[in-house]
Amino acid sequence: MKSAPILQLKGLTKRFGRVAALRRLDLEIHAGEFVALFGPNGAGKSTLLKVAATLLGPDEGKSVFQGGAPMRSAIGYVSHQSLLYGNLSGLENLLFYARLYGLPDPPAQARSMLDRMGLKQAGGQLVRGYSRGMKQRLTLARALLHDPVLLLLDEPYTGLDQHGGRLLTETLSLLKSQGRTVFLVTHNAREGLQLCSRVLIQNAGRIVFDAPREEVSDDDFESIYFQKIEETRPRRKSRGKRAARAGG
Amino acid sequence: MSILKSLWILAAKDLRIEYRSREAFQTTLFFAVLILIIFQFAFDPGSKATLEASPGILWVALLFPGMIRLNQSFQMEIEEDSLHGIVLSPVDRGAFFLGKFLANWVFLALVGLASTVAFVVFYNFAPSARLWWLLVVELMGLAGFSAVGTVLAAMVAKSSSREVLLPILIFPIVIPVIVAAVNASQEILLRDDLNTLGTWMQVLGVFDVVYLAAGFVVFEYVVGD
Repeated sequence: MKSAPILQLKGLTKRFGRVAALRRLDLEIHAGEFVALFGPNGAGKSTLLKVAATLLGPDEGKSVFQGGAPMRSAIGYVSHQSLLYGNLSGLENLLFYARLYGLPDPPAQARSMLDRMGLKQAGGQLVRGYSRGMKQRLTLARALLHDPVLLLLDEPYTGLDQHGGRLLTETLSLLKSQGRTVFLVTHNAREGLQLCSRVLIQNAGRIVFDAPREEVSDDDFESIYFQKIEETRPRRKSRGKRAARAGG
Repeated sequence: MSILKSLWILAAKDLRIEYRSREAFQTTLFFAVLILIIFQFAFDPGSKATLEASPGILWVALLFPGMIRLNQSFQMEIEEDSLHGIVLSPVDRGAFFLGKFLANWVFLALVGLASTVAFVVFYNFAPSARLWWLLVVELMGLAGFSAVGTVLAAMVAKSSSREVLLPILIFPIVIPVIVAAVNASQEILLRDDLNTLGTWMQVLGVFDVVYLAAGFVVFEYVVGD
């Protein structure tokens, strides 16, 4: 039996001008789930994550975290950007966030996190001198520093080389084995499927596929993905139909 | 976590970043000294008119270059979207405002101190104990300017025309502070007695408190969705 949902998104609609990025989207995420969300560009995945993180307010619907508990300090958020300061060292960045979250013994926590992410040696270097992979690992360290209840990851594999990607997968696998609740948005089907316990596909602002990982084999995923995208592709009304309707 | 602790963490971070690059400090100070030199050349140095205008020139040299700092104070939060990192933390938004304000104020006060030394030299004012009062007036004037500037810089941070927008928005709002600061400086530098200095400093104090209180309250909405 599933536990009570950590995050409930109910009837979310978010518009940017005339474009609806989310359309009455419903989703529940339960404790210990590792959810991977796939979808084409423009499907509204990043918007969904921002609304889930409360960084964007929905136009309609609501987001309920742990039955109404304060959410912001209980989530770890990794976006397309690092949320780090280039002119501070890796250690100083983590110290800043550790102090901001009021963690006990910030220097020890920051050093321990650097160590976990394999950045102990680079901790004193300014972040602007980090490689993309190092920066991404530090970003993940920042997001995990306060031991969040829910981790929201938006395309964490973007720009990583093979080595960086492998390190990230190892870190995420560790989080999964620890029973962390993770919501991962990715284009990287191989890594996403390897890690997740639940597969979601989003298109045109809606979740169009939702299944446990066991029900989706690696071989079938691609055909399911393209079938769902094709089925739910927004179609323009043809001129003939419009003309027929106009004519009654 | 207390507001005082939060604001100190945020201000210390900003000042550390500035200390490391010193880019904004050097640019702002250079701009301020340049303004003082330009007015020095533009007017007859020994004339009474120049002397009368000198407090105003000092404040032009303090406030216009200050725009550079105010604009940059939120650019560091926008570059890698670290603004969201702070917004997602449990830090009170009012403390966020006060931290930014404190960093901006300290920065502008340091530039102001260096600019005042240049001003005293260029405009031939004899060093006297009265100059301490001038520094107090500068601190008070720059506090009001920083308070308004911090809120407005956050508002325009994501706009591509922020360099133009910020001065257009800020100066109409800080007119009371500018008037009080220039009049107080005039009294200190040019008058024999300091009869109305107390009144102008009271005006500065009241506007500082009003601007800080308003910034503390509205910042939540400025950095919200």
